[in-house]
Amino acid sequence: MPLDYVHDTQAVFRKVMDCMAQPGKTNSLAKQMCQIDFPIDCYHSTFLTMMTLLDSEATFHIKGNHTSLVQRIAQLTLAKHVEESEADFIIITADLPQASLIDAIQSAKKGSLIDPQLSATIIIETSELSSGQEWLLSGPGIKKEKRVKLAYSQRINQAREEKNKEFPLGIDLVITDQVGKVICLPRTTVISEVSK
Amino acid sequence: MTRLHQFAFFDEGSKKEIRRTILKAISIPGYQVPFSSREMPIARGWGTGGLQVTLAIIGQEDVLKVIDQGSDESVNAVNIKKLVEKTTGVTITEKTAEATIIQSRHRIPEQTLTEGQVLVLQVPAPEPLRSVEKSERQTKILHAEEEYSGAWLQLFEQIMKYGQTNTGADHPVYVAGRYVMAPSPIPRFDNHKMNHSEALILLGAGREKKIYAVPPYTDVRSLAFEDYPFTVESFATEACHLCGATDTYLDEIIDADKDKVYYQCNDSHHCLERVNGVIEGKGDISYA
Repeated sequence: MPLDYVHDTQAVFRKVMDCMAQPGKTNSLAKQMCQIDFPIDCYHSTFLTMMTLLDSEATFHIKGNHTSLVQRIAQLTLAKHVEESEADFIIITADLPQASLIDAIQSAKKGSLIDPQLSATIIIETSELSSGQEWLLSGPGIKKEKRVKLAYSQRINQAREEKNKEFPLGIDLVITDQVGKVICLPRTTVISEVSK
Repeated sequence: MTRLHQFAFFDEGSKKEIRRTILKAISIPGYQVPFSSREMPIARGWGTGGLQVTLAIIGQEDVLKVIDQGSDESVNAVNIKKLVEKTTGVTITEKTAEATIIQSRHRIPEQTLTEGQVLVLQVPAPEPLRSVEKSERQTKILHAEEEYSGAWLQLFEQIMKYGQTNTGADHPVYVAGRYVMAPSPIPRFDNHKMNHSEALILLGAGREKKIYAVPPYTDVRSLAFEDYPFTVESFATEACHLCGATDTYLDEIIDADKDKVYYQCNDSHHCLERVNGVIEGKGDISYA
């Protein structure tokens, strides 16, 4: 069965909304991923997230050299591909090095104090969620604190903290993986290293 | 079934815009995110904001409950339910615990909401500073600068005039220590239910074109002074004449013929469940 743009994107949205409301919670888009019956040059979970959130009123930027993917997404969603610093959604594919992500975090728009909603959401691909170093999350949406394993580094965390230091200004992260798992880290989430 | 309309009434573009707005609202708790509120088949001021939020998030598997002033059967709730049911075919329920989405006007249900549920509140006036500053541009600046003297002053003036704060409903709250937010016209009795709620709370104002949110497990503090602490409506000496509850929000009903005043639970479903013995309340009475 092909992807149902009404019901499948609704299901994806609810999963992403749930993740955003409860940072660190993992949801799976595997069911909707099975419906994609054409080759696409990024993770299917990333593709679904883009299909759910992008339209002609939103802008996006896919980092790296992904001309055909950019064309495909623009064709399917009618969203406009713009410079990284202007994009509502920035997509970091799995093939890019860590430095590209840090670069994206630094140049993404973070909104203004009057309009903090005019800020970017970064969709990050990671080969496998719930692997890697353990991190401690706290903030709105989290009961006391939550421990999650993320392929995330101290340098990325520093860049994120720097960007989000003046709440409500900041960026929101959506992390997707190959098997369809999603985690969201809105700007309110405080991430720290688990002390050993 | 022949479909005469798009699923959930809206075109996909409208849903996407509202969905993006909701995500931003969740990531900036208490901040009113502007959105391009659509024309709806009900009049503005009759829950179009809540309705738009509900239609943008609802899916075929959802179970919907709609209440108006605590009642599942009053006119606003029934009309909204009919519209959503006709355009989506979802299951409608009156049971608070069964619902995945609860759209409400003026109340948060008595039964505690749980993780995974979404409470959608209809908001007539989303701006807590509007009565002290009529310019939207100015109130946006006040929020940006976290300048909430106006909100405090309003409460202070009430104390000066009446010896206590007299907000009947919509008593302002501080969300996650940053934004002052109008919790929609819920009674003060319901304010504490927002604090560290397990359910996600989405608030939609259709006429004012704003969506805002309180994520689960978020600090929501009612504005109050040290020497004038926040108080809720008290029904200490009254009980519901139907179920005997003493721990719920009660309506005062005046029977002019008999010249009698009696009290009844405002949350009709909760009251019914108690009468039927499904829920046991703290103040259970014996009919023997």
